[in-house]
Amino acid sequence: MLGGIHHLVMSQLQIAKRHPLKPAFGVLDFGTALAHFWQRRGLLWHMTVRHLRSQYKQSILGYAWAILNPLSLMLILSFVFSTILRIPSQGIPYPLFLLVALLPWIFFSSALSSATDSVVGASSLVTKVYFPREVLPIAAVFTKIVDLVFGLMILGCLMVYFGHPPEWTSVWFPVLFFIHLLFTLGLALPLAALNLFFHDVRFLVGVALTMWFYLTPVIYPLDLVPERYRMIFDLNPNSLFINAYRRVILEGVSPGLDRLLLGLGISLLTLLVGYYLFKRMEPAFADRI
Amino acid sequence: MRIESEAKEIEFWRVGKRFQLQEGRTLREFVPALFQGRGWSEPFYALRDVTFSIARGETVGIIGRNGSGKSTILKLIAGVMAPSEGEVRAAGRVSPLIELGAGFHPDLTGRENVYMNACILGMSGKEIRERFDEIVDFAELWDFIETPVKRYSSGMYMRLGFSVAIHSNPEILLVDEVLSVGDVAFQKKCLDKMHEFQAQGTTIVVVSHSMALMQKFCQRVLFLEGGRLMGDGSPEEMSERYLEDGEEMVTPLAEVRT
Repeated sequence: MLGGIHHLVMSQLQIAKRHPLKPAFGVLDFGTALAHFWQRRGLLWHMTVRHLRSQYKQSILGYAWAILNPLSLMLILSFVFSTILRIPSQGIPYPLFLLVALLPWIFFSSALSSATDSVVGASSLVTKVYFPREVLPIAAVFTKIVDLVFGLMILGCLMVYFGHPPEWTSVWFPVLFFIHLLFTLGLALPLAALNLFFHDVRFLVGVALTMWFYLTPVIYPLDLVPERYRMIFDLNPNSLFINAYRRVILEGVSPGLDRLLLGLGISLLTLLVGYYLFKRMEPAFADRI
Repeated sequence: MRIESEAKEIEFWRVGKRFQLQEGRTLREFVPALFQGRGWSEPFYALRDVTFSIARGETVGIIGRNGSGKSTILKLIAGVMAPSEGEVRAAGRVSPLIELGAGFHPDLTGRENVYMNACILGMSGKEIRERFDEIVDFAELWDFIETPVKRYSSGMYMRLGFSVAIHSNPEILLVDEVLSVGDVAFQKKCLDKMHEFQAQGTTIVVVSHSMALMQKFCQRVLFLEGGRLMGDGSPEEMSERYLEDGEEMVTPLAEVRT
């Protein structure tokens, strides 16, 4: 079957003997674009590794930062929101309640920030050789998955420490995360492209992410939000994901099929639109750097 | 109108390339400009109405003054940019020798960079593994292949970059004035390699200011001036025109002096 896919990819590429950068990327070009990407998938691995290396290279603590960052954030937020402000956390120790939401949030937020700069940061490559540029923001996002994995290990330890081990429904986590990943990629791609054209996009992204953080039930439970504002939260896909993570890891509730499909639908749509926008803007990259 | 023949390796048809000489880089600058109806900014035409084709296996040189659009043509062939007007067609795997070692990450070792650079140039994992030894042999860097590239001298850096690029089995080779790296012995190796490519039927496009190189190496030369293709012929004819052009440029300055 893999041979069949390979054959399909190769024939798509034969069709696309024209210039790889089409000035007007249309819906029909999705096939060739994906075929190109699949052909160069090895590049994704190399780019991710390169990103990872450069992230922690000169620091003394190296990869320990992947753990220290969420851990210290969790400690300070717990202190402020639980000890001082005393936000209720649905019968679960606040640090756990927080961390289960915080880790995916940190992934989302740092992935978008990193992806936004990914193409500009590789300007020397982009202006010299052609390769499917989407590899750059995707590699940036994948790098953050590694950080997330480290964070999850800490979460595991913490859960045991608090005597509240993960529920068996936690096996749903990879599925939920996959959907969340699609959503993240769908935003990362157009942001990476836009940043080339308008240099202040990275600042806008920073501001937007801060606001988004507070509008997502990370530090507080959703039921604290007054009824009339619930709509904002229902429209926020991250809210959907965060609640789902909490339910499967802490409450032992499997995700409902309708919710799952809704999340998947939103994410796929975001990804398709995001990818389309990216490919649309791609031909002008080398002109703008 | 579409290009007909299938036999040509590279085809440019009425290609134009516009650049915006940017003023509105941030939203703060762009939005008011939009309101004033100014649009982006003045367009600059790096190339205008350029039409030519190169058959497989030909070695073609491009000459012209600085800023005449030579590097832009290479970038269009490499697929790094898209034309603003017209069509560009380049079938075959393109390997650009434009500023070698681009993408070399300073903290990674020579070995790791070879793998990555080769991957960027389109080689599969298998091909890289097979050719790795050849690549390092050619660059003569066995002693340093496991050290981070930031410790390399500029010559070593370029040799490695060059070596990876030529082993990428290109069907189209683009050379942008980089044949002068390394010592005389290495330069000779490079030229020999170039001749090998010619014998193998690789299509080669060379940008250089060296007339000698053109005459020795190229079968055909394109002469660019101000973004337009002014000549397409034998190296001898074109070098005459290029030098003539140069004389015309020098004279006014001499007049000013006196």
